[in-house]
Amino acid sequence: MSTDVLIDLLQIIMLTLTTVVVMLVAGFKREHGLVNVLTTAGLAASLLVFVFVDPVLPLQATELLYFDEYSLFFSALITLGALSVSILAYPYFESHNSHNEEFYILLMTATLGAVVLACSTHFVSFFIGMEMLGVSLYAMIAYPVHAEKSAKFPLEAALKYLIMSGLTSGLMLFGIALIYALTGTMFFNEISPAIEAQDLASSPVIIAAWLMIISAVAFKLSLVPFHIWTPDVYEGAPVPVTAYLATVSKAAMLAVTLRLLLISDAFQYEALMLVLTVMAAASMLLGNLLALLQSNVKRLMAYSSIAHLGYLLIVIIAAASIPGILSVESMGFYVAAYFIMSLGGFAVISAISNSGKELDMISDYQGLFWRNPWLASVMITVLFSLAGIPLTAGFMGKFYVFTNGLQGSLWFLLTMLIIGSAIGLYYYLRIIYAILQQPGKISKQDPAMQAIPFGTHAVLGSMTAIIIYLGVYPMPMINILQSLAAAF
Amino acid sequence: MNVDLFPLVLYSVIVIVLIVALTAVSHLLGQKRKDHATDEVYESGMLSVGSAQLKISVPFYLTAILFIIFDLEAVFLFAWAISIRETGWLGYAEVFIFIAILIAGLVYLWRAGALEWRSQRQRDDRLHTIGKSGVVNIDKKTGKAHKTEQPKQGGAH
Amino acid sequence: MILVWLMLILFAGGIGAWLSESRGVGVPRVIALVAVLLDLALVIFMLLAPESIGLTPVASEQGEWLVLFQADWIPRFGISFIFGADGFSLLLIALTVFLGLISLGSAWHEIKERSGFFYFNLLWTLAGVIGVFTALDLFLFFFFWEVMLIPMYFIIAIWGHENKEYAAMKFFIFTQVSGLLMLLSILMLVFLNYEATEVITFSYFDLLDNNLSGVLGMLLMLGFFIAFATKLPVVPIHNWLPDAHSQAPTAGSVILAGILLKTGAYGLIRFTVPLFPEPSMAFAPIAMTLGVVSILYTAKVAFAQNDLKRLIAYTSVSHMGFVVLGVYAWNAQALQGAVMTMLAHGFSAAALFMLAGGLQHRIHTRDMDKMGGFWGVAPKMSFMALFFTVAAVGMPGLGNFVGEFLVLLGSFQVSITTTAFAALGLVVAAVYSLIVIQKVFHGENKNNYQFDDLTFIEMACFALMMVGLLWMGLYPQSMLDMAEPTLRSLGVAFP
Repeated sequence: MSTDVLIDLLQIIMLTLTTVVVMLVAGFKREHGLVNVLTTAGLAASLLVFVFVDPVLPLQATELLYFDEYSLFFSALITLGALSVSILAYPYFESHNSHNEEFYILLMTATLGAVVLACSTHFVSFFIGMEMLGVSLYAMIAYPVHAEKSAKFPLEAALKYLIMSGLTSGLMLFGIALIYALTGTMFFNEISPAIEAQDLASSPVIIAAWLMIISAVAFKLSLVPFHIWTPDVYEGAPVPVTAYLATVSKAAMLAVTLRLLLISDAFQYEALMLVLTVMAAASMLLGNLLALLQSNVKRLMAYSSIAHLGYLLIVIIAAASIPGILSVESMGFYVAAYFIMSLGGFAVISAISNSGKELDMISDYQGLFWRNPWLASVMITVLFSLAGIPLTAGFMGKFYVFTNGLQGSLWFLLTMLIIGSAIGLYYYLRIIYAILQQPGKISKQDPAMQAIPFGTHAVLGSMTAIIIYLGVYPMPMINILQSLAAAF
Repeated sequence: MNVDLFPLVLYSVIVIVLIVALTAVSHLLGQKRKDHATDEVYESGMLSVGSAQLKISVPFYLTAILFIIFDLEAVFLFAWAISIRETGWLGYAEVFIFIAILIAGLVYLWRAGALEWRSQRQRDDRLHTIGKSGVVNIDKKTGKAHKTEQPKQGGAH
Repeated sequence: MILVWLMLILFAGGIGAWLSESRGVGVPRVIALVAVLLDLALVIFMLLAPESIGLTPVASEQGEWLVLFQADWIPRFGISFIFGADGFSLLLIALTVFLGLISLGSAWHEIKERSGFFYFNLLWTLAGVIGVFTALDLFLFFFFWEVMLIPMYFIIAIWGHENKEYAAMKFFIFTQVSGLLMLLSILMLVFLNYEATEVITFSYFDLLDNNLSGVLGMLLMLGFFIAFATKLPVVPIHNWLPDAHSQAPTAGSVILAGILLKTGAYGLIRFTVPLFPEPSMAFAPIAMTLGVVSILYTAKVAFAQNDLKRLIAYTSVSHMGFVVLGVYAWNAQALQGAVMTMLAHGFSAAALFMLAGGLQHRIHTRDMDKMGGFWGVAPKMSFMALFFTVAAVGMPGLGNFVGEFLVLLGSFQVSITTTAFAALGLVVAAVYSLIVIQKVFHGENKNNYQFDDLTFIEMACFALMMVGLLWMGLYPQSMLDMAEPTLRSLGVAFP
């Protein structure tokens, strides 16, 4: 092992170190503030590693992890998400829940898992990362279960997620096992040559294997028809965890999935593409339609995430017929944009909620613009961005999706995209409208009028700034994405 | 390589046919009677007494899972042990880190009270039922330990 | 650069107005007024003495551009900031800034709540519209096209009347979805251009040479057409407009009717036809028929309204039908007529909405059945109403007459039947307009409403618009001359 490897591993080492330190500190000194600061500092340090340490790229560090700009980009995104969640979690849990220290240990292990996923080019690290992320998430979702007054139903959500994830892991393992049995390799890049060498491409077993892997991925990404857990888990989990679930968990999964599909050349299977197309269309349509019926913002965000992943799937499907560079670039942009706007949205919900009482009904946002213009502006920006209105990152993301769809001539999916966006506008506007209305009566105890801690302000402010920045001047981001996409 | 699925399909079909056939034949040919002993677990044996669902104390599971976790870690050590010469000092360093993290985990578990049989709350409750002279007070009506005062400190309630 | 300044002043003024909200109602509106006046001064310089502020016309293949500004934006996709203004754009910019001033006047006493945020939205809408009129990069154009909707949505959703949620939502969804179709067309156009030339660019000038025809060209053209026709609006997709107009606060209605509708017409003239000449010509008979249907159908619907603002809204659709007719007749007279109609209708519709809004502000109803006999109560207002109604109907000597007459003249050369039906619209217009005057201002004041006559600010606004309409009616050549080079460069043969 050379120093190069150590430098590349520095981020993972930082995260692990933070995990152990946080665990020991939590054992000896139960103090929420201290543990929170340690976690935040550890995450910030591992984020800074990207800025100050120039990694040696690309590099295969051990068989399981592969470092290139692609993995670094997604790792940075994941760490940023975890950092924000850690900051949001403190005011959320403080004074409404006891024994908050373990939450941060779980947050750290989940983040480690997500980073492993982003660096994975091997089925084993894929599975390890997925499980680390998943297992930590069950506990995170159920975290306030012992609280005297818990805002939501964390246990139900955690159980649903646990059962669905168990099924997913089973499917995933079965798929991996079948591929390994036929090709004798678990490296993503060796699958395609092995299949070609043995002339397996039309074998039903290999297609079945791919379908199993794709179904497992679809479960994690909550694509229709594997989406049923999403709204319940989103609603039942405490807000910071929902934010984590919606951003980090999805981004990590998308990172590894696109890499897997691109370098293992899975696009040659027509059956697979058909399944993906159907899933994309159904996700866009059902996600948006069901979101119409929601009166709970968290559930609405869940359905909207289903729809957004449907949009993203267009990029993945188009990757079959357009240069990999463009699709990686587009995916990177869309994921980053979606990541930032979801985080911003949940940060607003989190700012006016705590683990004893969550304000997540649309009616709770009535007149927010007059009660707390700052929060309302952030929320409106986020919603416009989700709806894909220019000036925001969401629009550039949608622009990329359109470009991909056009170049890949996916007319059917583009039609669905337009229909979906039209429906989407309606429910986003409904929340915006509620925010803009006159509030019924303002009481002193109104959570939206209370002082918001500095950390939350920082998260809200930076997410809004990034949304606008990416929407108005995306060029720096595009340059980064182009250089990392060059590898594909 | 063309995978021949035929034997697998045939095998599945035979299994299904066999199961269906067996149940169908016994359903068709068997005599149908409804006596008071028909629903007994053992029609001609001893009557079962009590519930089959044994109540096992919850801390048992915790202890068991901790055992399994630490037991499994030993497997990794075994893998290292048989290749100790090949991996050299690097391997030693890695195992060292591994064990260090494991110990940190153990320390945490110990400090968090996961190795205690009773939870913190149970211990609190127990403390409060013991009077000044060391007598455990039992409530006559409920048959449970009588609480002298509510524990004030925070905890998982 | 001066075009960027026009927008920046409005953007900055908007932010300033918002920030000064806590200092009372008076401060934001003064800031807004200063910003608009600054813009107006700039525009006047641009119109009358371009040399004095260092502007020299740039002649290029695609016409004579008074101002052309270019800078990179997203080079990855060949997207750049290209702002340019020729005579046609300048006329519309002048209209925008002028009506911006008028709408400020109409909001002056009406908007009491959150006035800072109101003026912020007002100024940002104006800035967005100027962006639409000057953007010569299709991406940039689309960007502004969508951006101008957001503040307008806020204006309707916050300061609107009883049914504002429905109206605001409908307005936004209609324009947004049709905008998405346009985005799809733009991207496809760029992509096809990329395949043909290996250059990826969104520049209007580069995309003009596309030579698209056949089914594909038709589909792409329709993408643009639907977006612009929704905004204009043309009949089957017009029904967001009556709701949006009637629910918006007065200043919002003024901007909607006076300026936002013109962006649709501008898009047709600047983009749809020049980018797709062949498909457009093939489509012209259908478009002209749609125009005539718009004129007649909405005139009939207007006739059946009780709601004063809805009635005016429908008449707007009817008048914009003439613009569609003029654009798709595509000859010198018809296009000049369309341009004149756009300008004149901007004034007359704005004035009528301002009257209706002022009336609603005073008596809190728009129901014409409850009104009557207001001539005695508010003679100044009644006179203004009569003047602008007559103007809208097409009284010779006023701007609308010139516009509609030229449109009919031009389209007569193309299709006699269509023109004959369109001319019928003028007759119907007279009927519904006079009904308004009769119901509201004549007869007896059944509910015995008493209210103040027009204030000084309102009078000033109306007077300005009167002068404008008279100018257009008596000396239309001054405006036609400005638009002519543009139309020539778009390939229109002038006699």
